[in-house]
Amino acid sequence: MQFSLNEEQTQLQDSVRRWVRKNYSFSQRRGIERSEDGFSRAHWATMAELGWLAAAFPEEVGGLGGSTIEAAIVAEELGRALVLEPYLQVGVLAAEALNRIGTDAQRASLLPPALMGETLPVLAHAERGAGGELAYVVTSAEPDGPSWRLRGTKSAVLAGPMAHSFLVSARTSGAPFDAEGVTLFSLPVTHPGLIQRPYRTTDGQRACDLILDDAVATPADMIGGIGNAISGLRAAHARAIAVLCAEAVGVMDQALWTTRDYLLTRRQFGVPIGTFQVLQHRAADMYVAVEAARAATWRVLAHLDDADPDARDDAAASAKIQVGKCGHFVCGQAIQLHGAIGVTEEYVIGHHFKRMMTLQQICGHAEQHLRRLAGNIAAQAA
Amino acid sequence: MDFERDPADDAFREEVRGFIAEHLPGELAARTKLGYHPLKADTQYWTAILHERSWSVPHWPAAYGGPGFTPLQRHIFEEECFLAGAPALSTQGPFLVGPVIYSYGTQAQKDRYLPGIRSGAEFWGQGFSEPNAGSDLVSLRTRAVRDGDHYIVNGQKTWSSEANLADQVFFLARTDTEAKPQKGISFFLIDANAPGLTVRPIISLDEGHSLNEMYFDNVRVPVENLVGEEGRGWSYAKFLLENERAFSAEVPRNKRYFERLRHIASHELARGTPIIRDPRFSARMAELQVELETLEFLTLSALYETREQPSTRPVGSVLKIRGSELQQRLLEMTAEALGDNALPFYPEPWIDGANACPPGPEYARGVVGELYFRRATTIYGGSNEIQRNIISKQILGL
Repeated sequence: MQFSLNEEQTQLQDSVRRWVRKNYSFSQRRGIERSEDGFSRAHWATMAELGWLAAAFPEEVGGLGGSTIEAAIVAEELGRALVLEPYLQVGVLAAEALNRIGTDAQRASLLPPALMGETLPVLAHAERGAGGELAYVVTSAEPDGPSWRLRGTKSAVLAGPMAHSFLVSARTSGAPFDAEGVTLFSLPVTHPGLIQRPYRTTDGQRACDLILDDAVATPADMIGGIGNAISGLRAAHARAIAVLCAEAVGVMDQALWTTRDYLLTRRQFGVPIGTFQVLQHRAADMYVAVEAARAATWRVLAHLDDADPDARDDAAASAKIQVGKCGHFVCGQAIQLHGAIGVTEEYVIGHHFKRMMTLQQICGHAEQHLRRLAGNIAAQAA
Repeated sequence: MDFERDPADDAFREEVRGFIAEHLPGELAARTKLGYHPLKADTQYWTAILHERSWSVPHWPAAYGGPGFTPLQRHIFEEECFLAGAPALSTQGPFLVGPVIYSYGTQAQKDRYLPGIRSGAEFWGQGFSEPNAGSDLVSLRTRAVRDGDHYIVNGQKTWSSEANLADQVFFLARTDTEAKPQKGISFFLIDANAPGLTVRPIISLDEGHSLNEMYFDNVRVPVENLVGEEGRGWSYAKFLLENERAFSAEVPRNKRYFERLRHIASHELARGTPIIRDPRFSARMAELQVELETLEFLTLSALYETREQPSTRPVGSVLKIRGSELQQRLLEMTAEALGDNALPFYPEPWIDGANACPPGPEYARGVVGELYFRRATTIYGGSNEIQRNIISKQILGL
């Protein structure tokens, strides 16, 4: 066990930090946010070129042989600047889904171009009403000869409008909530029967609903085996949660230090407001919360390779709860300590709060994860 | 950064568990788990057993008789001891004054005092706070005036933990009234039975006795009992308090509290079913579990930080705030789970007298008393408000 970064990890962190500093000021970010694509293809290519997408993947699929720790290091730095490129959605969630569910041949053919930034696969799995339960898949895949006809609506497809292809989960057998019977299909965005309902999220990212209107999927479109996608989706989501937590640590840590600087410069009653103890203590509580979120993130990273997937998912739930709570507090108080400027669209601090909101909403809200852990406790009555 | 597990750590856990199972009497474990102030005899009994195995000062460097545990081993060791119901080591000697003596003391002081701390033979009491010097400790007024080979000490100390059990006392006194307040303080050791030193009990909210007042009335302290340099006592005290904070997260104790909560909530009924099955209750327990899991990794990171590179940040303040608040919340939930069984005053079972056997299950006995006593955790070692001052000044630069 080692908490400090090794030399390579420090280099990775420095590389992301330097790049972000140069390319992602708040005004640069605004330009990207308002561009037609909502993200920069040039930046995405650079991120791939610098190896950030490949960092956490094994060499046989075009990765650099690191672990999710490397992805977490990248995400924390991206979080500081509220980077809009779909690192979490494509670089972690979709790539991990392919890595966990795909056959060896699919991993070898689909992952390398994704990690090189040449293709943008996006996972379309969530559905309204799931309440954080991954096995809740109503979208159906009805057999049609050797193929399937897909019908249903996928929600919260973050980065969907940027996608080259969708990884669509659909039920080939069983009922919603059944762990068995969910199959993953890879379909190009131009595939007949795929209808996007694009929108902008409140934190400035692009997303869509994906309507499957009799989209025909052939056996060649199937990722992995039939009916057994859920365990791989669980593994991918646990990793995504760990990386999401690391991003949130970056989001809230930067919110804290931006607030600290404001407390030192903003003057009221003839003095810098940072001289008031009530604000000092609030800032101290924010610092404590950031440290707690960091520790919770370390913990889930430490449990990602647990032999028991339930233990892994418990750790992911625990981190999601802790980080959500800390991030909400820190980013909320960052607005509060800034006063009215904090609620303006033109100033950066409120955007940290917005990003934190999105991070709380996706991959299962804290309350949904809490229900899981509470269920464990009730079941383990001594 | 890597979090790979070493199978040697699992083997170590088994070794510790086996040792405890073999050496910790069940009756002693049961008594400890009730949650009262530990009896000196119990602490000494267990410390002596650990001493034979060279495990009695798990956090000390090997050069001073520590076992040379890795940070994780130390954590595992303490956790196993707590969960098994072993009496906690005395705080004052092993955790507070011991490290000061081996870091700043003379060879003679190390030779004289460290063996007694390691074996548990000598207990220590603390003389830091004064009636008018609590959070503002640096304004303390107890005077030590040089007189030949001695210092003559006069003054009053308060909240002196375990001074009633102590064989030796460490304390701060002002040796220079002209210097800046921080520069005029020195750190001393004195025999608890020295003439002129009087210890009076302070009964805490739990009706227990671990706190004391100490009166120094012309107490003669030999000059060789000065620790380090005259006038540098404040920096030694800060070193000691930073150590105290690092331990005050008390993850192993918090884990024991959580297990006790689980046990009690599994047996206490609400509307006819164990309260642990109430969805709202179990969800609130889950929230505390999350806090505990977070605290454990905060603590581990601090343990590793001190080993690989000395901390540049007062991480102890973060641990102290979160650990102490969690203790209180765990105890409050436990009392809540007890329902009507939280009402009786349960005296320490080894004290005869009225109310010796109120109704209610055995597991209820120490809970509420501990809840009352542990209101002190957010106050001692520098109140949590002082910790927030430290964070805002030293880390945030406000």
